Amino acid sequence: MGPLIPNGLIPVEWNYIIAIFIGMAFGYILEASGFSSSRKLAGVFYGYDFVVLKVFFTSAVVAVIGLYYMDYLSWVDISQLYVQPTYLWAAIIGGMIMGVGFLAGGFCPGTSFCGAAIGKIDAIYFTIGLMFGIFIFAEAFDILEPLFDGSNLGHITLPDTLNMSPYWIVFIFTIIAVVSFAISDKIRNKVKKVFY
Amino acid sequence: MENKKHANRHVYWNPYFGGFLLGLLIILTFYLTGRGLGASGALKSGVVTVVHTVAPNHAESNAYYSKFIKEGESPMNNWLVFEALGVILGAFLSGAFTGRLKFKIEHSPKITGKRRLIFALIGGTLFGLGAQIARGCTSGAALSGMAVLSVGGFITMLSIFGTGFVVAYFFRKNWI
Amino acid sequence: MSKTYKSKKILVSRRYQILALVLVLLAGGLLLLPKYHKSEGISPELFVKNALSTERYINTDMLADRLINQDPTILLIDTRPEAEYNEFALPNAINIPLKDFFDEELNGYINQDIYDVILYSNDNFYSNEAWMIGNRLGYKNLYVLQGGLNEWFKTIIDPKYPDETMPQEAFELYSFRKAAGMYFGVGVAKTETLDKPKPKKKVITTPKKKKRVPEGGC
Repeated sequence: MGPLIPNGLIPVEWNYIIAIFIGMAFGYILEASGFSSSRKLAGVFYGYDFVVLKVFFTSAVVAVIGLYYMDYLSWVDISQLYVQPTYLWAAIIGGMIMGVGFLAGGFCPGTSFCGAAIGKIDAIYFTIGLMFGIFIFAEAFDILEPLFDGSNLGHITLPDTLNMSPYWIVFIFTIIAVVSFAISDKIRNKVKKVFY
Repeated sequence: MENKKHANRHVYWNPYFGGFLLGLLIILTFYLTGRGLGASGALKSGVVTVVHTVAPNHAESNAYYSKFIKEGESPMNNWLVFEALGVILGAFLSGAFTGRLKFKIEHSPKITGKRRLIFALIGGTLFGLGAQIARGCTSGAALSGMAVLSVGGFITMLSIFGTGFVVAYFFRKNWI
Repeated sequence: MSKTYKSKKILVSRRYQILALVLVLLAGGLLLLPKYHKSEGISPELFVKNALSTERYINTDMLADRLINQDPTILLIDTRPEAEYNEFALPNAINIPLKDFFDEELNGYINQDIYDVILYSNDNFYSNEAWMIGNRLGYKNLYVLQGGLNEWFKTIIDPKYPDETMPQEAFELYSFRKAAGMYFGVGVAKTETLDKPKPKKKVITTPKKKKRVPEGGC
């Protein structure tokens, strides 16, 4: 009954080995889907390449449907999976800063690793910038702490807050994803083509 | 049609296929370890380790670093660090198999390489700052958060992409 | 656009439509699945099988033997009401009447697989009830003292002297029972208030703590 390591079905020592293999698969998939190219990543904001939208949404939908089916079959206990705590204002403001950073740099941490691995110098600079950003945050922590620690709503999930059955949420999510795929293709046909 | 394909060896996977595989990978990760993926956490451990080595007193007196410094155990002893190493390795392999390994600065032909690098640095700094505040980046918070329908994950993701669309106009010279 | 290109585009688009439909159907399937209540514990068939078999019974001689040898792996649970427990109980027995079966602290003694849990009552009744609940929920190592305290009295405290015609084993059993009786305090003068030893609370590592909370983060 999953998840395996927290329930002791696999000895804990395997945790790091599994981490490396999962990371390798993650990096491979990201790079092969084109996420090591900053121009492809920024494409979703200008309409000439929607790879971010497609990969993101597809993986989220597949993952959530798969997990809920496994939960139904008692292969995984969803309540034991890690749900990150929701810090309302920290998420919003942090997300806004990240959005600006995304457009400026054209990467996100995971994809910058991919880009750096295949030799993209801008990805390497982005990674160095990330470390600067973390450093600045830690130094300015005293000022930023109330934002960081405030408005902790706990480890809440969507079914809890919206008071809906999780299956409905999954269904609506899937519909939104499919509709957005169709729309993205229509937009792409209308936007001026960019070659890279 | 066929010539274009041969000339352009940078053929990426079909995005739906990549997304499907990524979804399966997330399921596997949750099934094995009960946690999702992540990326910026590894860099955070790296920064903490470097600061701790260079200036241990400062690191310990700082409220943020001290959270991650434990007696006798390096902050690099962290699931995310190993996963990040795997990411770099996996991406390298993928690049090697498809002939994409090359040192270059990828930028729109309308701007110079130098400008691209400066913006990459600034973007990285902002992103690092934001990722620490929001306790997650797109892979860790948004992707894995959405897979378990976590409210924090959805809020973070909507915030990132929402802001992105808003400020895209100001950065358009860099990309289009 | 050439004809082949157009038809190829339609074909590709059709493929995507089918895939999208499959995805939506899967999500919809989740919605429509019958919401059965995931039953906790063993299946009813297995439960009946366990109930019919006599494996769970441990007879008084075996229990006496284990107690005398100070077997550390057993845990005696008295399932009778508290008043009767205070009057008399087997040494080192813990009192968990049926109404307290799911009490948080006491349930830990029953729901664990380190010690052998031996349930007893006056006869078989309460102990069997407790066993039924525990077995249905999948608790391990549950046993019932056959005949309960009544049988205990008949065999250990006041064993019947075997007839002449009984085989040798019967006599050996008798002497064993007599010796056991003396170990448990039979024959000691009633004036001496039997210092009922307080049941030593056995340290049971709470199995709840075994679940490691998954760590997580960005």
